[in-house]
Amino acid sequence: MDDLIICRCEEVSLADIKRTAHMYQCSAREVKLRTRAGMGYCGGRTCRPAVDAVLEEVTGEKPGNDIPLKVSPPVRPVSLSTLGGSERHE
Amino acid sequence: MSNHRIMDHPVLGKLEKTEEITFIFDGKSYTGFKGDTVASALLAHGIRQLRVQEESGNPRGIYCNIGHCFECRVTINHVEGVRSCMTPIEHNMVVESGRLQPVPFKSTEADKLPRTYAEFERGLHKEDDPHV
Repeated sequence: MDDLIICRCEEVSLADIKRTAHMYQCSAREVKLRTRAGMGYCGGRTCRPAVDAVLEEVTGEKPGNDIPLKVSPPVRPVSLSTLGGSERHE
Repeated sequence: MSNHRIMDHPVLGKLEKTEEITFIFDGKSYTGFKGDTVASALLAHGIRQLRVQEESGNPRGIYCNIGHCFECRVTINHVEGVRSCMTPIEHNMVVESGRLQPVPFKSTEADKLPRTYAEFERGLHKEDDPHV
């Protein structure tokens, strides 16, 4: 069960997150910064609720939207050419 | 041509024949039907691995299949990070799977480093440390 991968982008397992949360008794945000869970390509869209849930179980931290693992725009990863400029420059 | 595609579904009925489209995945030519996404066309050929995790090399493929998780991202016509589950196949499309990337050096003593400035001042400050 602990081999379960929570963050697939950065390949962080449930065991990694539990160990970090137990060792440092820290916030979800600190777990994110220590393990990189939620910092991958998808921007934490996939694993954020799972990381929040593990943290709530270990430290009792309630998921919020202010400092811990907040959601920031853009909604999806976009290339800079989407935001402006029509030509691709490699 | 493909033996993983459901041609006759108990609820949805028979699959209507549509235009065949040929595209290239990792140098090999595959055929799908018009309306297939890159991921579904490859799945019909039994190909489930679309990329590897960049650091570990563990296989990755379709995960959410609704464009949410970016697990199925591939390189299409030299554009990186395209979701194969959201991209319909086109004639002569060149699709490449995600590869292993070089890994930067990792700190082996991350646990010994101070977590806050107060900890830094208490513990690690050394007189002859050139970085202080």
